[in-house]
Amino acid sequence: MKLTCDELDTLLSEFMDGSLTAAQEQAAGEHLATCRQCSAELSQLQGVGELFRLHGRMELSPEARDRIEKAIGLA
Amino acid sequence: MDATSTPIAETPSTASLFREFADGVYTLAYRILGDRHLAEDAVQETFIKVMKSLHTYRGDGPLAGWLYRIGYRETIAIARRRRDQPMDVELLSRELEPSAENVEKSVVERELATRLDKAIGSLTDPLRGAFVLRDIEGLSTTEVATALEISESAVKMRLARAREALRVELQEYLL
Repeated sequence: MKLTCDELDTLLSEFMDGSLTAAQEQAAGEHLATCRQCSAELSQLQGVGELFRLHGRMELSPEARDRIEKAIGLA
Repeated sequence: MDATSTPIAETPSTASLFREFADGVYTLAYRILGDRHLAEDAVQETFIKVMKSLHTYRGDGPLAGWLYRIGYRETIAIARRRRDQPMDVELLSRELEPSAENVEKSVVERELATRLDKAIGSLTDPLRGAFVLRDIEGLSTTEVATALEISESAVKMRLARAREALRVELQEYLL
């Protein structure tokens, strides 16, 4: 199975997650090995995840944590 | 002593759930609501519900999915109550500046945080929910599906759309 760039585009997100069928994954891998544009797009999609994993998580402030713990009876 | 005579709030499992998931629920709520105080309210409401319904969790699905489902419902309920006041991304930027956790961050880090806030704020609530749970909180597709009460294929579709929109929005950070 050969994929066009447009066809691969619809599969990139699932390719990242490893949730494609074996045949799809092989076809995606073959396309990516020879297509610089799609390969760059995959890198960017992976970069989005990385950015948010590193900088997107929030933490309750200690004050808010204490207040909520008291409100729900944990403190 | 039977279960009904023991305040659920005192059980270690509730406390451990709070320790493990409070920041995650806060992240989900903040990323959808764009307001720290409302997000804190969502965390509080979520864990009140968790305490009340913990005995109904039968272990027949992922615990994280079960808990985030409550968190997502509470967050969306708050979002609906203030539907007439859509998230203001400029307000988000201003809110970020004076917070204690950001005071010590470098200018570059603050700028990046603001850009990420704006980018994720441009997504619709359903896309944001899927993206936050999968790519920030690290839930599995199955857990996200449980949390959002949608099929796994719908999760995959939302993720693909969210990731692509963010890729376009954040081009300058992804070169």
